[in-house]
Amino acid sequence: MRKHEVVVVGAGLAGQRAALAAVEAGCDVAIVSKLHPLRSHSGAAQGGINAAVGAEDSVDTHTYDTVKGSDYLGDQDAIEFFCRAAGPTVVEMEHFGTIFSRAPDGSLARRAFGGAGFPRTIYAADRTGLALLQGLWERLGTERFTLYEEWELTRVVARDGRVQGVIALDRRRGEFEGIAAKAVVLATGPAGRIYGRTTNAHSCTGDGLAAAYAAGAFLKDMEFVQFHPTALLESGILITEGARGEGGYLRNATGDRFMSKYAPHVLELASRDVVSRAIVTEVSEGRGFPGPYGGYVHLELMHLGREKVESRLQEICDYCRHFAGIDPVTEAIPVYPAQHYMMGGIGTNIHGATNVAGLFAAGEAACVSIHGANRLGGNSLLETLVFGKEAGIAAAAAARSASAPELGTAEVEAATAPFRSWSSRSDGEDPSLLRTEMQQTMDRYVGIYRTENDLLEGLKRIRALQKRFERVRVVDRAKVYNLNLTDAIETGHMLDLAEVIVVGAYARLESRGAHWRVDYPKRDDAHWMRHTLAQRGPEGPTLSYAGVAYTRWEPKERVY
Amino acid sequence: MAEPTVPAIFDVYRYDPAIDREPRYQRYTLDLAPHTPVLSALLRIRAEIDPSLTLRYSCRSAICGSCAMQINSKSRLACETHIGPEMERHGRIVVEPMRNQAVLRDLVVDQASFWRQYSLVEPHLKLDPAHPMPEGEPTSMTPEEVERFKETPRCIACAACYSACPAVEADAGFPGPMALAKLYRFVVDPRDHARQDRLVRIQPNGLWLCLRCHLCTEACPKDVRPSERIRDLKEMAIAVQGATENGSRHAVGFKDNIEDRGLLNEMRLVRQTYGTLGMLGQVGQGLRIVRKKPEIMRRPHAIEGVDELQKIYEALDPEEPK
Repeated sequence: MRKHEVVVVGAGLAGQRAALAAVEAGCDVAIVSKLHPLRSHSGAAQGGINAAVGAEDSVDTHTYDTVKGSDYLGDQDAIEFFCRAAGPTVVEMEHFGTIFSRAPDGSLARRAFGGAGFPRTIYAADRTGLALLQGLWERLGTERFTLYEEWELTRVVARDGRVQGVIALDRRRGEFEGIAAKAVVLATGPAGRIYGRTTNAHSCTGDGLAAAYAAGAFLKDMEFVQFHPTALLESGILITEGARGEGGYLRNATGDRFMSKYAPHVLELASRDVVSRAIVTEVSEGRGFPGPYGGYVHLELMHLGREKVESRLQEICDYCRHFAGIDPVTEAIPVYPAQHYMMGGIGTNIHGATNVAGLFAAGEAACVSIHGANRLGGNSLLETLVFGKEAGIAAAAAARSASAPELGTAEVEAATAPFRSWSSRSDGEDPSLLRTEMQQTMDRYVGIYRTENDLLEGLKRIRALQKRFERVRVVDRAKVYNLNLTDAIETGHMLDLAEVIVVGAYARLESRGAHWRVDYPKRDDAHWMRHTLAQRGPEGPTLSYAGVAYTRWEPKERVY
Repeated sequence: MAEPTVPAIFDVYRYDPAIDREPRYQRYTLDLAPHTPVLSALLRIRAEIDPSLTLRYSCRSAICGSCAMQINSKSRLACETHIGPEMERHGRIVVEPMRNQAVLRDLVVDQASFWRQYSLVEPHLKLDPAHPMPEGEPTSMTPEEVERFKETPRCIACAACYSACPAVEADAGFPGPMALAKLYRFVVDPRDHARQDRLVRIQPNGLWLCLRCHLCTEACPKDVRPSERIRDLKEMAIAVQGATENGSRHAVGFKDNIEDRGLLNEMRLVRQTYGTLGMLGQVGQGLRIVRKKPEIMRRPHAIEGVDELQKIYEALDPEEPK
């Protein structure tokens, strides 16, 4: 049996940063990733990374903006810790080799982002994630660790509340393998493919969340799903908030800069939940443009001038030209919201620790919670690095005091027998069809505006899909790189997560941040200023609730 | 309000080395809107017709670098190649795995050699203990210094350039366009203190194996222009060290010849490239050329207006790169 002190699952920014911290602490570290690390979805992050640096900005303002952005569901102690770490984190990444955009005086250039009281988003053109991913991978490359490349997580193995290791599918050989570990860090990123219309990559299937949930970990605040206001129509490809940060306008079909109605002070730079709801409202009230992929509004950059658009939004120009067939220098970009980010995730403290001993999580897969009910743009890249490092340090410390993990071949065989049985069925359900139906269900019933009836209908449909999934069939019999098998595994994982999202959304009888209940349109701090905790039970998720940590900022109504 | 569609014909390379004796091409026909990306079409084939069709893909927005493949014989990203123009130009869409990398299955190739070449150029900052990074502060770097990276930070390591490169095919010792563009990125980085060492080491390690065909630049979906950065590396390598390799001596000799008389003196160029003793190794080929083209033995006269040419060289002669 393969054995390591610390196994990190996922090799995006959070996983790599955790691995680096654990290696620096002297541990034998392995990274398990279903993609080559440089192909991770962190690389798709565009706009930037927040850090309050310089005399005019402050950690306090960044903290306040994040607390307010979270609609007071973020834990204020965690947010303060997070914002305090921002400056040193960005400096460290610069020293690792990241190539940031610069101001004329040689300092790091900054741009405005939504929900922020100060332009504090540091960036590398509009490919900040790629720049950070390259810088970190190239720094990590100077260290010794084992990389299980194109191995896909299928199980976290825990016994008596303590982690023993993981089971993963080696895609190239088509074999399920156990890896025993004293500590495991899950940094598997998003689960956006639960939705059909999403900015997320195809690989964002929430493998770590589902494996943690199955192993007894709490999933926290899963009903809070962020919809990014500006995604391309058919493909759902993201157009960065940086486009509005650089001065872009949103206009409806009557030519109005309609955000003046919804956020009179900051217009297009309100927080994402506010802007997304505004766009959906404009379109549903008949002020959108009609099109074959549904109604939409315009994101205009034309007034910014060719030079600015082509230099600061270089990738956006490519996206628009390649994927929408328009030139943003001379034409408006048709946009509509799309699923973008999960505020919820595996419940952790600020050191990445979960309720399962030896199991840690960081990045989008985790929920600390610093984003609460709505994440601010520019805070997610920062989160991956700050809490990736914390989780790596904590996992290394846990590994030092842990006894030898127990994971035997027989256990791996037993745990993976169901997967292998899928290909011996002579008939059964097609995993890609189940996935499509799940995505349609979530788009239709668990979107931006939610009602009790819709959520009940959504739950009924997701449960029916779960039932059908019991008869899932893999028709591809090949060993090597069997995508039919990984499709099935991922679909099973996502159905579990979809159920948690709907159950949490149904139970939460208020509107807060990204969770908007048409039938309960007010925030209800007396009853609902608390985190949802979902744990796997025999009949689906069991919900419990935990208080929100708050220190200095009293909840008040959120106006932008 | 459905969009108009066109019939699209795909001939897709299928091969599982564990099962198949040899590769075959499988035809799939479906109606698609002309702006449909090849990747979307392949995923639709997987979902609706044949779940065994195997490929790498992830972001579908040309940023993760997973879905490079040969589309009508060009190395491209499937996610940003549209079916309409391909059908118009070729009447069908032939989809094959990238070249210069062994096929694992169907369109999925083994990228180990590509990643190895990337790590061989030591893609990380090398610091000088005498010049530590500023404590608690980012390094100062002007926008002009950032400009010196050119487009190299845009590289998504998709390996389309590696697939398109004939020098990679011909010589396992050639690092390939991506690795050399990455090397360039570190050579021009003001934070890196191994610039000279990097240039000295790459001269005998593949730099001069580039054929200057620019197929990498044509293939690159991110406009990184690897061939132009390789040219820059060659100039910088000669500037720090002089011409130490056959390739660099040939380049310098070529320039000397033209500057001197406006025409090539082939004998002189061979001597400049290989050295007097080294010329012995070229005797066989030399004799074959002389038999076909005896005038090659004559020392060329200077062309008319060579002084004008020399003025051009003088004007072009760059200052020593920093």
